[in-house]
Amino acid sequence: MDKESLINAYFEGALNENELAEVARLKATDTEFAQELTFQIELQEALKKQERQEVKELFGSVVAAKRSKPVKVVNMRPWLAAASIALVVGLGSWLFFNNGNIDPDQLYETNFEPYDNVVHPIERGNQIEDLKDKAFTAYENDEYVVALELFSQLNKEQNDPYIEFYSAIVHMQLGDHEQAVHSLQSYMAQDGALNDRATWYLALSYLKLGDLEKSKVHLQKVVTEDGFKAEAAARILDSLE
Amino acid sequence: MKDEQLLAELKKRDRNALKSVYIEYKTEFFKFASRYTKDDSLLEDVFQDAIIVLYENALAGKLDHLKSCLKTYLFGTGKFMLFKHFRDSKKQVYTDEEYKFDQYEQAVIEDVSSDEGLSTYQKLLVANFKKLGDKCREVLELFYLQNLKLEEIMTRQGYENKNVVKSQKSRCLKSLRDLIKRQNG
Repeated sequence: MDKESLINAYFEGALNENELAEVARLKATDTEFAQELTFQIELQEALKKQERQEVKELFGSVVAAKRSKPVKVVNMRPWLAAASIALVVGLGSWLFFNNGNIDPDQLYETNFEPYDNVVHPIERGNQIEDLKDKAFTAYENDEYVVALELFSQLNKEQNDPYIEFYSAIVHMQLGDHEQAVHSLQSYMAQDGALNDRATWYLALSYLKLGDLEKSKVHLQKVVTEDGFKAEAAARILDSLE
Repeated sequence: MKDEQLLAELKKRDRNALKSVYIEYKTEFFKFASRYTKDDSLLEDVFQDAIIVLYENALAGKLDHLKSCLKTYLFGTGKFMLFKHFRDSKKQVYTDEEYKFDQYEQAVIEDVSSDEGLSTYQKLLVANFKKLGDKCREVLELFYLQNLKLEEIMTRQGYENKNVVKSQKSRCLKSLRDLIKRQNG
């Protein structure tokens, strides 16, 4: 067996007693061999430690996401209240007009979906490298509280406009529409590449906040631009009119 | 999810499988281990380390013929590590570990519980490893982390000859060394 094969077999755990003794002998007498073996052992250990660290970060994010759950529960209650009121009002107006009811909440729920991560593709299975990776991984995994925290850190570090856009989507997911409106407006002020998308989400947030007039203005913009979500916007406008 | 399926995914280094082990057994483990200590942060550390030990032993093929279920193995590992912690910190505690870990498994336990993070040189290794091309990272990770033999890597990547993988691995190691040399000037 040549030296390279000996080292490979060492890592494969495929050496018998004599061969192991040969490894020990070469390690003590052959500097080049010793260096090569140590380098690979060190590399294996480094890769293992790195992976352990990443796995622990993963567990940490599960803990963080759990902690954020109560927020969701609190948000459920007004939603439930709104839903029951909507049900009563809806039922009443249905009895009166028998032509369907206008329920902004309902319109919001059917139309809102988080925008795909289009700015920073995450390769599954790859090692999580930097803050941006972590933020968008959390975003894609629906860990919104974690994502929000990471986006705000990211914003301090690099201040790319799209961070504001994705923060807005996260705020919407967490039910904080005031903040979402704020983030979307500041994104749009920078005239980013996703402006048409931002207009659509702004309209939805206004819808959810019950500001129907502002919502209509932005829906109309989406319809006029005749691009992203133009049809959906037209449908919502129809229901609101 | 069935144990076999979970193990198969762990062996593919699937992060979601790790996450589901964590979520699935956390509450029960805390309940199980709370009779030994009330220190929740210690339990959290031990539980996370125990999953990593389980994971690394699964990668090394030690769980291929597991007689008990995964949970028993995980809890046995956790308990072993907890007692080890007590022993190391010289706290008196009775030991009644019924799980028999072999030498390799004990070495993994020792390694994980004494892991104090990457050394400066190891950080340098990792940083430059990340600069390698996808193919190189894949081969090296399959070899060093997933513990596949060169022959298994050959089959997996559809090569005819083991020597192709062997020279690929050696080329990748050389690139890594060159990167490090360049960085160190």
